[in-house]
Amino acid sequence: MVTEVKRVKLTSSEGTEFQVDRNVAERSVLLKNMLDDVGESDCAIPLPNVTGPILTKVIEYCTHHKDDPPVSHEDEFKKGSEDIDDWDAEFCKVDQGTLFELILSANYLDIKPLLDLTCKTVANMIKGKSPDEIRRTFNIENDFSPAEEEQVKFENDWCEER
Amino acid sequence: METNPALPPPNDLSATWAFLESGINHIMNRLEEGLSYKRYMDLYTGIYNYCTSSRMNPGFTSEPLAGPGSNLNNNRGANLMGSDLYQNLQRYLERHLHEIRGNSAQYMDENLLRYYTRNWEKYTTASSYVHHVFRYLNRHWVKREIDEGRKTVYDVYTLTLVSWRDHMFMHVERNVMTAVLKLIERQRNGESVETSLVKSVVESFVALGLDDADSTKSTLDVYKEHFQKPFVESSEVYYKAESEKFVTENSVTEYMKKAETRLAEEENRVQMYLHQSTHKPLITTCENVLVKNHTEIMWDEFQNLLNADKMEDLHRMYSLLSRIPEGLDPLRTRFENHVRIAGLNAIEKVADQGSENMEPKTYVDALLEVHKKYNDMVTTAFRGEAGFVASLDKACREFVNRNKVCKSSTSKSPELLARFCDSLLRKSSKNPEEGDLEDVLNNIMTVFKYVEDKDVFQKFYSKMLAKRLVNGTSASEDAESSMISKLKEACGFEYTSKLQRMFTDMGLSKDLNDQFKERSSVESNEQVDFTVLVLGTASWPLQPSTTNFTIPEEVERTFQRFKMFYQNKHSGRKLNWLFHLSKGELKANYCKASKTGYTFQVSTYQMGILLQYNKDTSYTFEDLKTSTDLSSDVLTGSLSTLVKAKVLNITKGAAVGEPSSRYDLNMDFKSKKVRIQLNVPVKSEQKVEVEETHKTVEEDRKLLMQAAIVRIMKTRKTLKHVVLVQEVIAQLSNRFKPKIPDIKKCIDVLLEKEYIERVEGQKDMFSYVA
Repeated sequence: MVTEVKRVKLTSSEGTEFQVDRNVAERSVLLKNMLDDVGESDCAIPLPNVTGPILTKVIEYCTHHKDDPPVSHEDEFKKGSEDIDDWDAEFCKVDQGTLFELILSANYLDIKPLLDLTCKTVANMIKGKSPDEIRRTFNIENDFSPAEEEQVKFENDWCEER
Repeated sequence: METNPALPPPNDLSATWAFLESGINHIMNRLEEGLSYKRYMDLYTGIYNYCTSSRMNPGFTSEPLAGPGSNLNNNRGANLMGSDLYQNLQRYLERHLHEIRGNSAQYMDENLLRYYTRNWEKYTTASSYVHHVFRYLNRHWVKREIDEGRKTVYDVYTLTLVSWRDHMFMHVERNVMTAVLKLIERQRNGESVETSLVKSVVESFVALGLDDADSTKSTLDVYKEHFQKPFVESSEVYYKAESEKFVTENSVTEYMKKAETRLAEEENRVQMYLHQSTHKPLITTCENVLVKNHTEIMWDEFQNLLNADKMEDLHRMYSLLSRIPEGLDPLRTRFENHVRIAGLNAIEKVADQGSENMEPKTYVDALLEVHKKYNDMVTTAFRGEAGFVASLDKACREFVNRNKVCKSSTSKSPELLARFCDSLLRKSSKNPEEGDLEDVLNNIMTVFKYVEDKDVFQKFYSKMLAKRLVNGTSASEDAESSMISKLKEACGFEYTSKLQRMFTDMGLSKDLNDQFKERSSVESNEQVDFTVLVLGTASWPLQPSTTNFTIPEEVERTFQRFKMFYQNKHSGRKLNWLFHLSKGELKANYCKASKTGYTFQVSTYQMGILLQYNKDTSYTFEDLKTSTDLSSDVLTGSLSTLVKAKVLNITKGAAVGEPSSRYDLNMDFKSKKVRIQLNVPVKSEQKVEVEETHKTVEEDRKLLMQAAIVRIMKTRKTLKHVVLVQEVIAQLSNRFKPKIPDIKKCIDVLLEKEYIERVEGQKDMFSYVA
């Protein structure tokens, strides 16, 4: 038996059109709700907050995960930040700018598993680093005065490893 | 056509709200015109952009860290945007609903319902769109507010429901309910109405049951308070008035039909358009008004329906009254009484035809007819309900054991029942077919179940079974064993063990005769055809003979040889010969009237008499008494049948049995038959036997009661008098119903025999003496 998979057109912020299967698009709760509410049509769905390159990545992710079972609330808590499978880890090997854009898009499009994945990836980048290393990693300017810095260090003394 | 204004700048609230309001307005009012993907996405994006505009975040740079990333990683410092949008939406909904409510004022009754449900449906559909469009707000700002314990913030869909409840429902529910109740009343009056309106109202009321403590949960509070309560109340008023009017104008049976229909209608109503939870309060109320308030008239009508056998009406009454607690109790009592009287009347009718010589079949049939009729009534009209079954059993027990026929003693019923069994199992031209026989035996068991004196039945049954076996008059071995297994099933192994032994003895005797015959043919040329039954004294209810008897010399040799044969086989066993139960056949060649001769079927005693006539043709009474050694009574009885049949002629003396009377062999004996049955039991003997059987029952009961007392005392060691009596009754109830004075007598006997003793210092207390 062949079931006809409905195609959905998506338009990125710069106007590039993408065609995906409906079940791929529905990984986004935003798109799923809208398709359920408004119904299907040949019109393209404009995504004014997502650029073409990022949308390409998002579609790649959603296509790979299109048949995933829904994640229950409990499972979500069990998974730690280490728990990332190979494909997902490979998927996240992108430059920082792209990674942050993916976070924003996952949040906008309401794709929780992608949002979790990208945030975990960022968390893993912070883990085990000193404040200075973190600043270097994310290119953050230290805006504390030396006195402020002492104060913060003193307040967080309890968490220092000895 | 919808318009597509450009997206507003992210951190401009008034521009953003204006943009959103026109979209929401479109969804709320003109959704049927459609909504483009672009408009939908723009509304969502507008909300997203506003919520993620980070004017509160001082660390805003061009770095990607800006925006929600900072919120996610550093929640503590972020101030989620959204409360302005939420409040604007709330105010918008209030205005919108105010308008809907305002327009509702012009409608009444059905039109109001139409207006209410139409707007409800439109509003909830639109709300679900709005809820989705506001999903970003729901996911972040609303979620945070709820997590922080803000009770007055809900997700957007719940907000729309709360708004409807507060700004619409609370103001119009009275009028809506008035209209609903009017509509239902019209339907009850037989009009056809648009029930889908009520269904929608119900759905709306149910949906508005929001749990204030947890907005994800729903309750039925709104429905129960504002719908169910007034609805059930109005139903009560309606049916109270209707039923009271109806009973004054119609018969009880008509009323029951009405009540039944009404209850079914209300059940249906719940199914059709009410919430399931209303079933119980509504039906309970209707049952109270329609049934409980009218129980008296129904109870009063019950006897009339019974008298007229109105099955349908009886069933209807049963169904109605079974709905309320204790509704059936008076019916059960009246039913029991009715059946008892019917049983007594049926027996009275047949007993009139002569209660002394009651025909067993007539009697049992009369009992069965009553049982069958009312058993059918219990299964059909009362659906086999346990209480009615118990009433039927109680009534049957009464009229089976205590009716006109067993006026003198309850043991008359088991006796007649056993006689009926005998008539069925004895060879007879009237025997029923095998299949029918099984049915009749089952019917007998039905009556047997109610018989209290089961020991009496056992006595008579085994007597008659013994007779059938000894005389070879049993019609079918299958039927016999079928009956015994039924009795075993009803009363246990012990009850039938003796009956079964009797069959075993019959089989053993057959083998024994075969062996003896084989031996005889080898040892001697036997002239006499001889068959013997060897029966265990313990199992067979056979009385020893009351007279001496000299075995005629013609048989003597065979008789002695069998004795030898048996002693060799089983040394140490004693054979008691029951000549009074034995019989034989004699070939008579002396008659002038027949060339071939006649065969006389005779009792052993008659044989002893007739064989004397091989030597001479005339004897006096005294002669015969000496030669046979029979007692005068038995000799007289045996002779009288021979004289009556004209085998012997009385030639001197006026009556058979006079000492000086003389009997000559009738050489001119003539008969149409070749075989002549002379072995006829004497009527008076039968009657004596019945009386004796009843007497032995009394004796056996004393022993059974004593045995029971000893058994109970042995396990209990010490026991109060009252408890002991109760336990004895309980133990013996499946055999007979012991009378308390009899139990007391047995206790006295056992005290005397020192099986038990009184406990000193304690009144009415016995203890077991080991």
